[in-house]
Amino acid sequence: MKLSSVVKLSTVGLSSALLLAACGNSSQESKSKTIQWQESANLPTLDVSKATDHVSAETLSNSNEGLLISAKDSKVAPGVAESYKVSKDGKTYTFNLRHSKWSNGKPVTAKDFVYGWQRSVAPKTASQYSYLFDHVKNATEISKNKAPVSSLGVKADGDYKLVVTLSKPQSYFKYLVTMTPFFPQSESAVKKFGSAYGTNSSNMIYNGPFKVTGWTGTNDSWTLTRNKEYWNNKATKIDGVKFNVQKTPSTALNEYQAGKLDAIKLVGAQQVGQYKNSKEFYNAKQASTFYLELNQQKDPAFRNVNIRKALSLAINRQQFTKNTLGDGSLPAVGYVSPGLASRNGKDFTKDAYVKSGVDYNMAEAKKLWAKGLKEVGKKGLNISLLADDTAAGKNTTEYLQTQFEQLPGLKVTNQNLPFKSRLSRSQNGQFDIVATGWNGDFPDPITFLTLFTSDNSYNNGKWKNAEYDKFVNNAEGQDANNTDKRWNDMVQAEKTLMNDQGIIPIYHQAQPYAINTRVQGVQFYPTGSGLDFRNASVK
Amino acid sequence: MADNANKLPKDAFEPLSDGSHLDNERIAAPSLTFLKDSWRRLKKNKAAMISMYILIFFIVLAFGSQLIPSVRNIATHPNLNNLPPRIPGIDIPGFNGTLVQGGQRVNAYTGDAANVHYWLGSDYLGRDLLARTLSGTRLSLIIAMVATFFDLTIGVTYGIVSGWKGGRVDTFMQRIIEIMLSVPNLVVMILLLLLFKPGIGSIVLVLAFTGWINMARLVRAQTLELKNQEFVLAARSLGQKPWKIAFKHLLPNLSSVIIVNTMLTIPNAIFFEAFLSFIGIGVPAPAASLGTLISDGQKSFQYLPYQMWIPAIVLSLLMIAFNILGDGLRDAFDPRTRE
Amino acid sequence: MVKYLAKRIFYLVLTLFIVTTITFFLMKLMPGTPLTNQAKLSPTEQQLILQQYGLDKPVWQQYLSYLANAVHGNFGTSFQFSDQPVSYLISSRIGPSLLLGFQAMVIGVLLGIVLGAFGAIRKNTWVDTTTTIISILGISIPSFVLAILLQYFFGLKLRAFPIAGWSGFMYTILPTIALAAMPLAESARFVRTEMVDVLNSDYIELARAKGLGKLGIIYHHALRNSLIPLITIIGPLAVNIMTGSLVVENIFAIPGIGEQFVNSITTNDYPTIMGLTIVYCFMLCVVLLITDIVYGLVDPRIRITGKRD
Repeated sequence: MKLSSVVKLSTVGLSSALLLAACGNSSQESKSKTIQWQESANLPTLDVSKATDHVSAETLSNSNEGLLISAKDSKVAPGVAESYKVSKDGKTYTFNLRHSKWSNGKPVTAKDFVYGWQRSVAPKTASQYSYLFDHVKNATEISKNKAPVSSLGVKADGDYKLVVTLSKPQSYFKYLVTMTPFFPQSESAVKKFGSAYGTNSSNMIYNGPFKVTGWTGTNDSWTLTRNKEYWNNKATKIDGVKFNVQKTPSTALNEYQAGKLDAIKLVGAQQVGQYKNSKEFYNAKQASTFYLELNQQKDPAFRNVNIRKALSLAINRQQFTKNTLGDGSLPAVGYVSPGLASRNGKDFTKDAYVKSGVDYNMAEAKKLWAKGLKEVGKKGLNISLLADDTAAGKNTTEYLQTQFEQLPGLKVTNQNLPFKSRLSRSQNGQFDIVATGWNGDFPDPITFLTLFTSDNSYNNGKWKNAEYDKFVNNAEGQDANNTDKRWNDMVQAEKTLMNDQGIIPIYHQAQPYAINTRVQGVQFYPTGSGLDFRNASVK
Repeated sequence: MADNANKLPKDAFEPLSDGSHLDNERIAAPSLTFLKDSWRRLKKNKAAMISMYILIFFIVLAFGSQLIPSVRNIATHPNLNNLPPRIPGIDIPGFNGTLVQGGQRVNAYTGDAANVHYWLGSDYLGRDLLARTLSGTRLSLIIAMVATFFDLTIGVTYGIVSGWKGGRVDTFMQRIIEIMLSVPNLVVMILLLLLFKPGIGSIVLVLAFTGWINMARLVRAQTLELKNQEFVLAARSLGQKPWKIAFKHLLPNLSSVIIVNTMLTIPNAIFFEAFLSFIGIGVPAPAASLGTLISDGQKSFQYLPYQMWIPAIVLSLLMIAFNILGDGLRDAFDPRTRE
Repeated sequence: MVKYLAKRIFYLVLTLFIVTTITFFLMKLMPGTPLTNQAKLSPTEQQLILQQYGLDKPVWQQYLSYLANAVHGNFGTSFQFSDQPVSYLISSRIGPSLLLGFQAMVIGVLLGIVLGAFGAIRKNTWVDTTTTIISILGISIPSFVLAILLQYFFGLKLRAFPIAGWSGFMYTILPTIALAAMPLAESARFVRTEMVDVLNSDYIELARAKGLGKLGIIYHHALRNSLIPLITIIGPLAVNIMTGSLVVENIFAIPGIGEQFVNSITTNDYPTIMGLTIVYCFMLCVVLLITDIVYGLVDPRIRITGKRD
């Protein structure tokens, strides 16, 4: 090309670009019945057996449906199962399924559940959530390849009756069946799509209120579109929900203010502060606790209870959540998060409250610290504090560092790593103190409490307490069918953990949202999937 | 014939009397070394001089302020967080402790904060942003200096060796450079940073790993030219050892190339550190660099714009000053611009 | 020419091979596996998952099969997206990045040429000063700061352009500007310096002496000869745009590979990091190869023999 033509072409191109730019000023706000929802991460999969993250859970729990679905106040509502019965010994569940259809028009039958569950448990699927089935008969043996998949304790009795056999009673089993690995899966669909099953929106079939469309497997947006085959389609009031991945919180806020997004996650004290008193603000409570684990294997000093208590007392949780995080998170009241479970109208955390475990008292902390150091025969400690490299993770380490270093002789260095690196380090015991979080899977305190039994793989600090183990084992075993005794076991377990300061709880995370007032009726649940558009409407 | 010479009359040649003839050959301008001359020309470049003073000011401020205990150890005051700039006696919006909230300017310094003055505001943990910015500037400058050090040692050595040895060694060394050039340097940095423990040390190392290439190329080209010149040839034939030639003859003649390129390396190093910190794999908290400050400030830019503006302006000023000074030096060293 | 090309392509392959090898072994040194929930998996399941990713074999075997697959454009399976081949991940996201990069390069360089040329022609006037200031600012203001400011003022405050996202030409404008600033500034500086030199040279004097018009001289002689060396900095500029795209795509939520690269780093998605590293190197190598060839074609002083300097 001759130079002159390059210059000419570029002049034309540039001027037309500017012209177009000037014309494009008409940004119109969407008045459609599709909700524009911000998602902060990509959708990794639509395979219900393989979904482990919150993004796929939020999508799948609206596009697919299990036997039961989550409902308000830690209850469950009928899903594909119209009703269910539990046997006296708590070991057999019988579900009566309604006549419903997949998005391809084929009926959803009990066989789809049997196949789906077997697929989730089968070792070759490599579902990272297969442990949730551990109470179902033979599930543990199957995952270790010691029993055939067909021996799983779930059987179809005709097309519309499902019988589940548990190896021991599990009072919270009803919550488990609302989760994605327990969803039905059509064998013919799995076979048809083969290894591409669930890798894009057309290689999947749906039985929930919405179908997923427009997901190529890697792109940054996808849509939940009304599923006409859904059994309760007439109750759906919206056309759909478009998820838009927006990882930069400030950009998301800009887009929200420009009316491009109907709902965004608010991040940080400033964004929350701006909306806190507005009608658009919604603080979604989460069954989540962030706590510190002290590595007793690497640092023997942490085996001293006074040192553990001193560290806990040095944290002003009120100040940290209010001033530093400022995002609606609550100061920790214990290990199990508040609002998760209650008995006779009294929250679990009230029954099991141990003040000294979550109190702030610097003077007392210094006293215990000196005492503890003397007992272990040390002048001081040099520790590193490991946490996520998220904004909240950095806030945590920076705040704790200043608080901890007020204890004489304690030197803290911070280490903030990406989530997966942090996880693998904490699991391999490569840390002194790690700040880690736990989100309850279902609304029962046991989802938290099993983590700190002596041999649990999430017990990274290796805190061991025989009494604690006993209480947890009783709740899961001999007292499983006795509500009161079981409750009491769990209360005692929590109290033991807090009195011994096995871990140091810091705060209970919340997820604040700004939601355009035209959107109504979106349900948030503190556990499991978290998000439900079944009753959502648009003005 | 030979006798004729003796027959010249005594007065055929007349001794010159006063030595005034020497004036004809006199060099009127004062004798200047190359560096002196360049300095003289640099002084005429106003923009470059201003840049130099700005840089000196920043360097003195960033390092000098470390003598003040409250800057060296920045305390957190969780009760005094996110306060906008307030300078006593100045009542300009933006510097009088007010900020826009819900469309109105309100005084943010209430309650605990009533008697506090943060000249450039405080951050989310109640740390003095002025002190943080100073520390961040210092860190950026330190990283720049260390990167420059590696640039000078590795880059110059590599360039001289490659150019001096020539032949196969040169070809081989140039192939390595070509291969390194065809990998985007940021990718190299990220890969290395993933491997090392995040921290200032690894950033410096990573910058050292990629930063010297340009220097090596320029030095090599210059060395190739120099090595065939007479003075080097003379030194060689007199049996001077190669490293001595390098130090005594090559380096002084390479100085302008090296200085100019260094001035361009520095802003690059500062930029890359800020960039890495911005995408979250730079210096770990609580250490502040200009990149982490911008990244933190960006999160609340809508509401607390000063938290991003201040480090961003400092960073840009540093880059501008280094770039202009670099340009000025290049012009000053360039013999073609000599008047 | 053929010989030269063959040689260059050989070096391209060699470079990619070295890069692949180094990246592979670097990644092997890093902690982390595709297991997100390691603690709760039975050893059998862990074994099976590793097997699916081919991580159960000895490292040298993994390396050989990785090389063999990489030749066919297969970079393994992503850790982050389950069952998603890295090659698909890259190919489905490379479009926006290429488009943005290309737009930024073309606009940046063309505007840079115009600015630089004006600066040189009107040397030491206000025009020159203005262009110098613009180019200094362009070099000095980091692309991420520029992107944030552009988004805030032109996206949110003035509502002139979409704030973020990717659906149409309008969405490309702000990110293109953010990315183009650096190439613009660099090429403006470069062209100005070159052109000042050229305008002082003897053949321009001769052209003037022959009575050629000013515009004719600038256009036919000065500009042309100043532009040829510009080709040599296209490679470095491409690196610049690639670097910038990592944050600019993130800030503007563009579904490109730059955004994916940062994302893969924070999620320890090693296969994707490796795949993208190789793709970035490949793109840069191709740009360098093309600019070299073009340079050889347009500059009569350089004969392509495989030797330079």
